[in-house]
Amino acid sequence: MKWLDALIQGVLLGGMYAQYALGMALMFGVMRLVNIAHGDLVVLLALIGISASVAFGIGPLPLVLILVPLAALIGWSLQKFVLNKVVGADSLPSLIATFGLSIALQNLMLEIWSADTRSMRGGGIESASIDIGGIYIGLLPVLILVAATLLTGGLDLTMHRTRFGRALRAAAADTEAAAMTGVNPRVVYAYATAIAVGILGLSGVFFALRATVSPADGPAQLIYAFEAVIIGGMGSIWGGFVGSMVLGIAQAIGFRIDPGFGTLAGHLVFLTVLATRPQGLMSRG
Amino acid sequence: MTSTPHLLATRNLIARYGDFQALFSVDFRIGPGEVVALIGANGAGKSTFLRALMGLLPVGRDMVFFEDQPVGGSQPHHMVQLGVAMVPEGRRLFAGMSVEDNLKVAIDHARKTAEKTWTLERIYKLFPILQEKRAAQVEKLSGGQQQMVAIGRALLAQPRLLLCDEISLGLAPKVIREIYEVLPEIAKTGTSIIIVEQDVMLAQRASNRLYCMLEGHITLESLSSDVTRADIAQAYFGAGHEVA
Repeated sequence: MKWLDALIQGVLLGGMYAQYALGMALMFGVMRLVNIAHGDLVVLLALIGISASVAFGIGPLPLVLILVPLAALIGWSLQKFVLNKVVGADSLPSLIATFGLSIALQNLMLEIWSADTRSMRGGGIESASIDIGGIYIGLLPVLILVAATLLTGGLDLTMHRTRFGRALRAAAADTEAAAMTGVNPRVVYAYATAIAVGILGLSGVFFALRATVSPADGPAQLIYAFEAVIIGGMGSIWGGFVGSMVLGIAQAIGFRIDPGFGTLAGHLVFLTVLATRPQGLMSRG
Repeated sequence: MTSTPHLLATRNLIARYGDFQALFSVDFRIGPGEVVALIGANGAGKSTFLRALMGLLPVGRDMVFFEDQPVGGSQPHHMVQLGVAMVPEGRRLFAGMSVEDNLKVAIDHARKTAEKTWTLERIYKLFPILQEKRAAQVEKLSGGQQQMVAIGRALLAQPRLLLCDEISLGLAPKVIREIYEVLPEIAKTGTSIIIVEQDVMLAQRASNRLYCMLEGHITLESLSSDVTRADIAQAYFGAGHEVA
């Protein structure tokens, strides 16, 4: 029972990671752009959400409707004004540019919100749970998992069935060849990053409801997203989801073994996958 | 301009890679429906010339004219909208995507015209093997089949001018024949074609006119039927070389 509970909690934790991993699967896995500020953007959006909910007294749902477009706009601008300058080059310039952005964001958030941890009130949803035969399942983590699953499925379909998805995969495979086939890679990339960061608008609200948030939390979320994408396999949208589940389950089981071992267990599974199946679980390669 | 209508012309075209100048005042023209070959040794600047036309290299506005309009230095996707498409050297297919998805990218972003000359059905009729392999990932295809996808992808952009860069490179003679057999059919639709080719005899046979390049300069311009081997050898290797 203890291990079944750990497994279920792990899957639910994986649902939260999958929300971070989705944008990462798109940017890092498909476009091969390294966005070090990915985790800081989640934290920034979560903090904006918390402040907005306090200031205007609005609930989580209207917040999502504000934060997702805001996040998409941030993503679009990030790509248009920063990352598009390094399209076609190797991934090092994007890494350095977003590394700088990451540090600047962390300090900006520290200035605005101080180092205090905060959380969002969700009108009871954050603590509601269902009792299934002695295992308590939180309503919010289930919602997060469902949202992550729907988003992953939707993004995967977008990538494989739409004009935009084909253009993005083409530009990612060979930017120059895509351009000579009529694709404007910069526009496609700007929309893709808008989607990747836009999803973080939703994740930010869930993050603030589920846990406490402070300005220095970004890098940990970044690492989980990176690990999930690499465990799942570069270039696969569902890979990021599967990688998140593996990571979530490993951490949850690790926590049951020893409360200090949880996070480390996740990293160890990541290293094991990297050593034995470096192309990732879902990769065809 | 002159009395003969040009689809595309370059005037005093110069291109450089950093400090290295790759093209020196290239004057080139191609008319509607014409097949023009561009020959020359490795490193003569043939691929650079095509890249400059496609908008993949920064060149001056008034160095390239499309229907008498200066278009030099336009973005590649603008050139596609004007009616220029390219079969790049080394094929450059979209790895990880199926044959049909590769072709669909071109359909999605094709030049906007009332009537589509090239449809997926027509490409499959031109290269029946592609229909058979349409669900296969492109990297699983043979070199010749990949070249067919690259040509199909360029045609589905509905070009008025098709740029073909070394489409025979690395292919078996039988496959080269198959590929070159479709060029007259493409030209028949009124599409002009520039072929860059290492095989001089093949280039001469397949074209109406030809240019020869040497170290970034045009050294010969002639009707393909008029040109002699001595002319070509002279232009290909430069002055002072013995004619074979």
